[in-house]
Amino acid sequence: MFRTRSFRKHLVAALAVVVLGVSACSTTTGAGAGGTGGSQAPIANEDLVLVASVINTTNPYMASMIEGAQALGEKLGVEVQIVDSAGSSQTEISKIQAILAQGKKVALMVNTVASSDAPTIVNAVKQAGGYVVIWWNKPDSLEPWDVGNNFVAFQKYSGVESGQCTGRALAESLGGKGNVIGLAGVEDSTTSQTRVAGFEDALKAYPDIKLLEVQSANWDPQQGLSVTQSLLTKYPNQVNGIWAADDAMIIGATNAAKNAGLYNDIKFVSDGLYPPVVDMMSEPNSPIVGETFHRGFMAAAIGLYTAYLAATGEIDPATLPEEKRDSLFKLACVTPTDFQDYTKWDGDVDAWIDTLIENGPWDTEPTPLVGQGPEKLPGT
Amino acid sequence: MANPVTREPSEQSVSTGRRTRPHHRFEVRSLGEVGALAVLIIVFFAINPSTFLSIGNIRTILDQAATPLIVGVGATLVVLMGAIDLSVEGVMGAAGMAFILTTENSRGSVDLGPLSFVVGIAMGAALGVAAGLIHTRLKVPSFIVTLGFWFVGLGIATVLFGTETIPLLPDGGIKAWPNETFLGLPHSFWLAVLVIAVGWVVTRFTRLGRFTYAIGDSEEVARSNGVGVARTKLYVFAVAGACTGLAGILATLRLGAGAPTVGGGVLFLTVAAVVIGGTSLGGGRGGVLRTTLGVFMLTVLTNGLILSGVDSSIQSGVSGAVLIVAIIFAAWPHRSRLRIVK
Repeated sequence: MFRTRSFRKHLVAALAVVVLGVSACSTTTGAGAGGTGGSQAPIANEDLVLVASVINTTNPYMASMIEGAQALGEKLGVEVQIVDSAGSSQTEISKIQAILAQGKKVALMVNTVASSDAPTIVNAVKQAGGYVVIWWNKPDSLEPWDVGNNFVAFQKYSGVESGQCTGRALAESLGGKGNVIGLAGVEDSTTSQTRVAGFEDALKAYPDIKLLEVQSANWDPQQGLSVTQSLLTKYPNQVNGIWAADDAMIIGATNAAKNAGLYNDIKFVSDGLYPPVVDMMSEPNSPIVGETFHRGFMAAAIGLYTAYLAATGEIDPATLPEEKRDSLFKLACVTPTDFQDYTKWDGDVDAWIDTLIENGPWDTEPTPLVGQGPEKLPGT
Repeated sequence: MANPVTREPSEQSVSTGRRTRPHHRFEVRSLGEVGALAVLIIVFFAINPSTFLSIGNIRTILDQAATPLIVGVGATLVVLMGAIDLSVEGVMGAAGMAFILTTENSRGSVDLGPLSFVVGIAMGAALGVAAGLIHTRLKVPSFIVTLGFWFVGLGIATVLFGTETIPLLPDGGIKAWPNETFLGLPHSFWLAVLVIAVGWVVTRFTRLGRFTYAIGDSEEVARSNGVGVARTKLYVFAVAGACTGLAGILATLRLGAGAPTVGGGVLFLTVAAVVIGGTSLGGGRGGVLRTTLGVFMLTVLTNGLILSGVDSSIQSGVSGAVLIVAIIFAAWPHRSRLRIVK
């Protein structure tokens, strides 16, 4: 009896916490949802803080984002704060709310952990009179112009284009004939879904390329290793090419192939051109035959700078064309012969930030604005 | 699960321990789990006759099981005391990073040669000792302490990782070791076998093992029988930390790269394996070999689902459902004897 009663007590307590939490959240969001934001007085540099929110601090892409945010802050002479979401939407939202409560006006760039975080963050920033640019994930239905000036823009690289670019490179390297497998990221990630869709779309032009299977490896190198290991035993001596939705997983996949003694018999393509992959591509006759180039520091700096321009009144989001508020930026397809034309940007982040400040967020090489979101899947 | 035969009052005595019928206990109590594993293997073999039991795939399964098996030995010891160790993912990350940065790697930090293995294992053991000290001296529940140490470990790993490039192991050399074979089976698996054997001997034939069971049975009774409860707990946490550290090294070797998240997913896998194997979370009952069965059930399941072409979006749902069914069947013979369901 005692056990049951205390269990009930706990259950009631837990329910109470949940109910309180939900009602607290809905109060915040409810108050912020009304009306479209009008223009606001420009904010001076010393009253402003630049905030970059990243998903974690251990992924090389995220580390690069932090580097870009800090370099931009130094150039602009504005304080920078980094939010480490530690992979959790809840951590992300509560840390951002804490910074908003500190008092200074916020120009925020957030790489959302999940699409569903975006409305809550946008509303919290709007309430506090800050400005936010979201990178990579938001629901398609949440458009900046519906929220107002405080939601300055949404920015990303096209996933479909990434998948098409690497899919084509893989098919070409196999001479248009062979069997390939794919490693997807987290199943419900739109970034992964669009990249897989682009990959499958590119293969349509190559009827003799057979896509044996696409499996999720959750953006994780360790899982990339074990999924590849299992697929290589499932299709013994049949796999000619491996595609991955990002480089973290291709690191696992190449190692699985090395362990199986197949590294030089398989072609690999992936997205992101991370430093270890740059090294692999530099080897003579590298089996890494195609990559895309885009950089975390560029994404973070473009996003933060856009938010900064809105906060300081240099741009009025309400008058911007829609493509500058739901934006797709240019992604470069690279091969072993030309990737060095792009990795040169890694050497001098500060110099690149100078060109960003000179040309503005939408016209900076190698990654100018190229299109308007939301992204459409091929065939829809 | 509980078998009253081995829980006669006379066995409460620590010195006679639980050695009365070791063979009998393992075989009878494990039939359910062995059966469930056999059913999984038969089903997957029927679906994939040409690949599932191929030598290549058997090697793959054994290699994939090695890391959770090693973590599982330490985790079993901790659970046998009625405690729990939630820190394994963080500790694996810290140990893996400490190892890779002290061996030959692309970042060129330091190369201590074989000493790097000692560094990695020591990192795990040190974190285990620290958690054990806080748990025993400050009387903080192991659940909370080790939850904290998960993130302490992850923090250490993240600091070691820094913002420089990913440290990679050079091709050939020690990176190839886990995957090379001895008697046709991968070294990683043999390493796990060795750790399991040591774990089994410790639980079955040493004072530390008997004390571990005694503490899990009843801390008060153990203490009044002269068991150094605090010291035993500390030793067990140190051993568990060392196992986790070794697993972190192995995972890093297999991946060929340093990553703070190298232990991702291992916590769920090992805790589930310990429970599925039949070690009671309440402590005092179970053993290392049972956890081995649990790890194999989970590894075979993951591998088999991929081989059977189950769509990855429904894989986790399917594997959860299969697990529940497996546990129901495994526990069926003992259902009336389960003392606690919580």
